[in-house]
Amino acid sequence: MASDYEDVLQKLCHHLRQLSPSDADITPRTDLIEQLAIDSVKLLNLVMEIEDEFDISVPINALADVQTVDELTNLILRIRSEAR
Amino acid sequence: MASTIHLEEKTLSSTIAQLNAPLAQASALRSSDELAVALAPTPTSNTQPQRLADFETLTAALEYAATGETGYNFYDARGNLRSVLPYRALRHNARAQARRLAGLGMTRGDRVALIADTTPEFVELFYACRYAGLVPFAMPVPVNLGSHAVYVQQLRGMLESGQAAAALANLDYVGFLAEAAAGSERLKWVGTPEQLGERPATQVELLENHPDEVAYLQFTSGSTRAPRGVIITERALMSNLQGIVRNGLEIGPGDRSASWLPFYHDMGLVGMVMAPMVAQVSVDYLATRDFAIRPLQWLRLISRNRATVAFSQPFGLKLCTLRVRDSDLEELDLSCWRAAGVGAEMIRPDTLRNFAEKFAPAGFDVRAFLPCYGLAESTLAVTFSKVGHGFDSLRVDAGTLVDKKMAVRLQVEGRKYSEFVNCGRPLPGHIVKVVDEAGQAVPDLRVGSVLVHGNSIMAGYFNNPEDSQRSLLPGNWLDTGDLGFIFEGDLYVTGRRTDVIIVNGRNIRAQDIEELAEQQPEVRTREASAFGITDTSDVTTIVLVIECRLTSAADRQSLISRLQRQVYMAFGVNCLVELVPPHTLPRTSSGKLSRFAARQGFIQRTNLTDQLSAESGDK
Repeated sequence: MASDYEDVLQKLCHHLRQLSPSDADITPRTDLIEQLAIDSVKLLNLVMEIEDEFDISVPINALADVQTVDELTNLILRIRSEAR
Repeated sequence: MASTIHLEEKTLSSTIAQLNAPLAQASALRSSDELAVALAPTPTSNTQPQRLADFETLTAALEYAATGETGYNFYDARGNLRSVLPYRALRHNARAQARRLAGLGMTRGDRVALIADTTPEFVELFYACRYAGLVPFAMPVPVNLGSHAVYVQQLRGMLESGQAAAALANLDYVGFLAEAAAGSERLKWVGTPEQLGERPATQVELLENHPDEVAYLQFTSGSTRAPRGVIITERALMSNLQGIVRNGLEIGPGDRSASWLPFYHDMGLVGMVMAPMVAQVSVDYLATRDFAIRPLQWLRLISRNRATVAFSQPFGLKLCTLRVRDSDLEELDLSCWRAAGVGAEMIRPDTLRNFAEKFAPAGFDVRAFLPCYGLAESTLAVTFSKVGHGFDSLRVDAGTLVDKKMAVRLQVEGRKYSEFVNCGRPLPGHIVKVVDEAGQAVPDLRVGSVLVHGNSIMAGYFNNPEDSQRSLLPGNWLDTGDLGFIFEGDLYVTGRRTDVIIVNGRNIRAQDIEELAEQQPEVRTREASAFGITDTSDVTTIVLVIECRLTSAADRQSLISRLQRQVYMAFGVNCLVELVPPHTLPRTSSGKLSRFAARQGFIQRTNLTDQLSAESGDK
């Protein structure tokens, strides 16, 4: 399980760095809104990349409870396990 | 996006049953395409004579549409057909749900709140309300990261403002709805369409509606503090729909629509749900979220199903231009698209030119562009340009526009200009006039407030006499809040008065942002001013100027971050926060802040003049 988490986190961080270039390290505790400035247009790109990368469909209602990188990672893991 | 229907009512079981696969199953089947193969969309050509919205009420229109073969089709993010809802099945299911709604103890005219995801269940419930003599209103789905609390607050505001007696949402959203409904004394029932489907149907007779009855409420902004529900009667609705399908679009038997517009938005609901139905036209839907993530899917739908009529906000066209790859163009044939309606926000000519240039190789005809102007307070449409003629624009001197509120056509090249799109003429039965601050009509090319008169005008804002009185002027003229001028009988919209900021196609009230700021302990009432600035590439940014007494850099940064976060969670946009010393913001004689002057001051302080597009603002 832990390695699954690390794997998703690493891939996610890769997309986040491309979307919001910044010098700061991205950690699980990084806040998507405050620290990475993911606005609604960037969010669409991010969701598309996540869906393509992990072959999942992200329900829009689930994003309402996501604020940090950790929460997004866990959401991806949850959707993936439910789809299997 | 689970979608399920009450199966026991189905008439076209072979088609409908398949749509109802819940999410897990749907995604499991996604790659195999088995579902899509089994379904076929409703046809474009019909078996009955076409009637163009000559009905007295919405349900009368559906009774007729149900005798043909056309209807609504719902596609998923991968372009697979998920559900088919012929008007015949829609009528049947809507009537069945109406009989169940009738058993909830509501009285005629009571409001029913519906979270409007792009699903068959939503449209069934919307029409079910009308069959039961109830007044539906659509509420948005949440779209922003971390917006849970704000979204619930937003729903609660609408439930209260609309005084809803019942509220429904599908499984994805019913949790939010239940939270918003907690403690409400007015709500008699909250649940999902499936739960309603399990209730017994009452054996009541479904009465015909009267043209003077209220057809629905339309909420116009996502405001958390004071959402306003526009009241539209059956008469206003049918008048507007008739104008749209006959005069605006000149609908004929070969027409078909494709839409991604949200069902909670007037252009989506009136223009792309009701207008096609009252003309018995088939529609192919893509959820807004799916379009926003993969705009190509919308164009694919148009191309594949040979759609002729499809509307978008300029923002949607921009997404297509930006996000569709050149390699995708080969598979598209957009030559069928004869009416590419554009509206709902300021239309920049370059947005249209860029789109046309990008998609010309895919057969898109620039003459298909159909700029129009309208607002929920006039049901939907006010003016249409001439269908099939493409778009016209006028270049006017930018300086004279701002200083003298005059549109002077550009005589010499090289001067700074503003270019405005011709939005066309009013629908029959409607008059548009432009007035100055004293309410006097101004001559051609003079910029002023745009007023509208006609059959489609709202009856007012629900339970809000103050705002109704402010918008509905004597003689039943609607003050649209937009600025513009008339030239040779055509309307050109030049801007929005400063009380509304339009970002990415969404209307955000400046007051809502200011009130959000004032909730912070460091910010006092009347010490925050919000406005939008639009750069020359047409990107609008919200600016929030705050009078601030904090001296420590850390405290100031903390306030800025908090404000940005609050604005983001409420509206999904980033904003620029400027802290200024007390008494910096200009006030009017009555002590009110002037947003126009605040904006001017900000532009001067930041030296942005040259990078912004010229707009005519009000004082």
